[in-house]
Amino acid sequence: MKPIFALQNLRKSHGERLLLNIDKLELQRGNTYLLLGENGVGKTTLLRIMAGLEAADGGQFQFDGQFVNSDTERAALAPNLIYVHQHSYLFYTNVAENIGYGLKLRGIPKTEREALVAAELVWAGITHLRDVPPNQLSGGEKQRVAMARARVLKPELLLLDEPTANLDDAAREQVVELIAHMRDANNCVIIATHDKELAEIPDAVKLKLEEGRVQG
Amino acid sequence: MTLSEATHQAFVLLLGGDPKLWGIIWVSIRVSTLALISAVPLAVLSGFVLATFTFPGRRALVVILQTLLALPTVIVGLVLYMVLSRQGPLGEWHWLFTQEAMILGQAVLAFPILAAMTLSAVQGVDKRAAETAKTLGASRLQAMWTVLLEARFAVLVAIATGFGRVLSEIGCAMMVGGNIAGVTRNITTAIALETSKGEFAQGIALGAVLVVLALAVNFAMNFFQGKGLTR
Ligand SMILES: Nc1ncnc2c1ncn2[C@@H]1O[C@H](COP(=O)(O)OP(=O)(O)OP(=O)(O)O)[C@@H](O)[C@H]1O
Ligand SMILES: [Mg+2]
Repeated sequence: MKPIFALQNLRKSHGERLLLNIDKLELQRGNTYLLLGENGVGKTTLLRIMAGLEAADGGQFQFDGQFVNSDTERAALAPNLIYVHQHSYLFYTNVAENIGYGLKLRGIPKTEREALVAAELVWAGITHLRDVPPNQLSGGEKQRVAMARARVLKPELLLLDEPTANLDDAAREQVVELIAHMRDANNCVIIATHDKELAEIPDAVKLKLEEGRVQG
Repeated sequence: MTLSEATHQAFVLLLGGDPKLWGIIWVSIRVSTLALISAVPLAVLSGFVLATFTFPGRRALVVILQTLLALPTVIVGLVLYMVLSRQGPLGEWHWLFTQEAMILGQAVLAFPILAAMTLSAVQGVDKRAAETAKTLGASRLQAMWTVLLEARFAVLVAIATGFGRVLSEIGCAMMVGGNIAGVTRNITTAIALETSKGEFAQGIALGAVLVVLALAVNFAMNFFQGKGLTR
């Protein structure tokens, strides 16, 4: 099967340190991947390079068979490829506006947008938070908003950077459940984490990042 | 007249709706508001550009902007006076000693405050804001607009600060406005004149109004700051 995302010979250094040195990595549709690794091993850097938020020093990248070697080309994949920050950023409006942000950019009319946002609020279990500004949300609620905001755009590739970092047990459980429901046959979710509990996600493919290399 | 008599007289003037007095107050508010309206678009854009892009000469522009913050109002008045006087390059406009000249002067005074504060407001926006916008499908321009919107409360603080500065300045208004009764006489120039003539009542009344306006501006600023900071 043609991978949704493939990369070869990715090199990335910070100063003297060769951080990433990945010969080959292929991600398939319908899969959830766990990108595991110690602090500072380069998980965030890898996801950001994939999303085109950072340039690599070298490497070939393909999205759905198309070459996207430059960071600008990869950034242009948005919002079909979405990166969710380790501590996700919510715009200083309210929950509904945040979830509708990408839809508005696409020029989707207001009534349609509202219906899509409402469905997403239900999915994430945050209907009661519809008009709440981000500064009044807990960490877990923020994370759920960020996931709903990405999901409503139906990305084929979703990159989640430590979605459960700094969450208490109850919030983590809810987020893990949402992640498990993000996947469908057509998309691919990759989650950077060192959270053991995320290993509970059924059928997740584990990728271990160690000394700049990915072990399957 | 004693101080208490003068103060009493001041409130009689204010509450009695003395047309001359309220006319002076109106000149101040009108001139300062129009000055802000004229300065805001270009100043906010400049601050935004300086915060967003790196280009040769950027550092120099920022230093110049910061220097302009401390520019004495009489210097702006002096330069504008020369530019607008009959022999000056804009002498044909016949703007000297008109409200237009005061508006221009105050817009020039407000510009560096607005631009410098917008600059730091935009720089203060979390780097993840632009990245989040882009990853959700925003174009470069749309992402920039989102960043500016994220800074909106701090930009409103800048506008309130600029308004406070031009409302209370006197040097420029005096020089290019000329303190003409019923035309260019505003709160600050009137206070200076009335006091030098020994008429304290009107000075006190106008001073009180100025303080109230300054308070209102600061409350507005505080409100916006509160909004912006509690994220
Ligand atoms: N701009 C930069 N300049 C220099 N070094 C950097 C830069 N960005 C990241 N690094 C370094 O690269 C390494 C990998 O960082 P990265 O954030 O990708 O790790 P991570 O696996 O996501 O870690 P964590 O689990 O803590 O999130 C770190 O040692 C970090 O200090
Ligand atoms: Mg990380």
